[in-house]
Amino acid sequence: MSIARQSSAHKNRSSFPWGLALVYVALVAGAMVMTLPFVWMALTSVKPDAEIFGQTLRWLPSDFDFANYSDAYASINMGRLYQNTILITGADVIAQILLGAMAGYVFARLRFPGRQAIFFALLITMMVPFEVLVLPIFLFVRRFPLAGGNDLFGNGGAGLLNTYPGLMFPNLISVYGVFLFRQFFRAFPIEVEEAALIDGSSRQRFFWTILMPNAKPVIGTMGLFSFLWTWNDFLWPLVIAKEERMKTLQLGLATFNQESGTRWAEMMAASVMATVPVLLLFLFLQRFLVQGLATTGLKG
Amino acid sequence: MSTSAAGLQGRPAAQRRSRLDRIVNSDTFVAYTFLILPLLLFFAIKFYPVVYNVVLSFTNYDLFSPIQFVGLKNFRAVFTEEVTLKAIRNTIYYTVGTVPLGTALALIVASLLNQRIRGRIVFRTLYYLPVVTSVVVSSMVWKWIFSPQSGLLNHLIGYLGIPPQQWIYDPTLAMPSLILVSLWAGLGGNMVIFLAGLQDIPAELYEAAEIDGAHAWQSFLFLTVPLLRPVILFVVVTYSIAIFRSFGAIFILTQGGPMLTTNTLVWEVYMNAFGYLKLGKGAAISVVLVALILVITVVNFRVLREDEE
Repeated sequence: MSIARQSSAHKNRSSFPWGLALVYVALVAGAMVMTLPFVWMALTSVKPDAEIFGQTLRWLPSDFDFANYSDAYASINMGRLYQNTILITGADVIAQILLGAMAGYVFARLRFPGRQAIFFALLITMMVPFEVLVLPIFLFVRRFPLAGGNDLFGNGGAGLLNTYPGLMFPNLISVYGVFLFRQFFRAFPIEVEEAALIDGSSRQRFFWTILMPNAKPVIGTMGLFSFLWTWNDFLWPLVIAKEERMKTLQLGLATFNQESGTRWAEMMAASVMATVPVLLLFLFLQRFLVQGLATTGLKG
Repeated sequence: MSTSAAGLQGRPAAQRRSRLDRIVNSDTFVAYTFLILPLLLFFAIKFYPVVYNVVLSFTNYDLFSPIQFVGLKNFRAVFTEEVTLKAIRNTIYYTVGTVPLGTALALIVASLLNQRIRGRIVFRTLYYLPVVTSVVVSSMVWKWIFSPQSGLLNHLIGYLGIPPQQWIYDPTLAMPSLILVSLWAGLGGNMVIFLAGLQDIPAELYEAAEIDGAHAWQSFLFLTVPLLRPVILFVVVTYSIAIFRSFGAIFILTQGGPMLTTNTLVWEVYMNAFGYLKLGKGAAISVVLVALILVITVVNFRVLREDEE
């Protein structure tokens, strides 16, 4: 509020608003720094190799060369990577929304033995990052009973390693999602629920036919977040997908990195292709992000 | 928050209901049918792994030989061996280098954006882009920017007359390079949180300050910063945890090197578990890491509570 208005409306009303101009200069300069890596990625992706390794800096390619895109697509088998990533992300997004909403509703509206203890335990686990739990979850998935050649006690086989259920597993639900839905449902008018129950509706029917159709904003927020988490996830696929055919986009991209990094143009082209769906979805859904921040009660 | 049974009492329809119906419609029954799948999953991906990790940290498990309890051996190793001590130092260096500066930058950008200017949403979107980009993509782009041979950064500093640097391949510059990437990656997310907080501050306060002759920077320092203190603490805590967790950037950019200058605790957890197959030691490091997170969180909330009293 302060800087612009002060300097523009202060004392010398007619003169040039220097303060406001400074604000714009700072914001534009900052935005250039923030977007420079993206611009550089896009420019590199259409350059022939000769123009990448020059001694002098060349911003624009002499000729837009889209061969990098087809080369990159073929060299890491991107069709398969897209297919795997879409399948895993789709399942995880749906599961995170449904399970998060169900648990969120329970913690928002129902009284039952164990409610406080369970909710408190969940909040505590929010402080334990996934990176720390990767190994136990990996062992759990590998020893999943009766899967992938395992016996009833989880020995003998590979469990859910290199399978879609294994890749989806840790992102099927998130504590954050439960919390987000709980906050939203707590703010939902209780009179609506009481009226439905008096009319003879069950809790279940109220949840599915009245509450969920009215929860579109929070579903949008959760959908966007869970999409970003699973689409961009790297560590879990890294330890769980060891076979080429089960790899996700992020894993496929990282293979460029392992070959001592000389194919920069292809690497950037593949990065552009993996990022465009995310950017489109984000631009389309970004209003939900701001709403989501308001719902989680960050604002007190 | 009354139960459904209470709402239905005394109504003819309710009296005809069987006992089974009443059980099925009770809060407890509905709650646990809704919770059964979420709780099973949380058990598998949260509660069980936390307990398993703690137990594992007291063993010498390596996947192949039978598990043996070794007491505090792993923890003693964490606090005596050079590699893990370096990891603790690097984690602190990484956090101290990123969090204060990154929080300040995010607050400044949010304050600039929280004014009546054109293109607010465009600016907000542009600053936020790194947050939605995958860590693999952004780290690979930065690796290309840092490239000692034809990287963008060496070209740019060349204009200022600075000789080309080795960046992530230079032991002294590797961590600052990683910090630079983390500042860039974290700015947008923290900025959005600050924007939400700023919108709760009544405009009248700034107008009153203006009438009293306060400069813009005085309003920022003596109004914005104290009023946003809870939000600042929230950002400091979540940003610190995000830095503690940072794995993908290290995996792509440095792999913990050069000369162990970027091997953080998370990197050591990963390497011990999946590289050296020293599962017990990896678990011990992860227990230390969680303890560090707890300390930071508790200290910050203490500060916050004292502030409120």
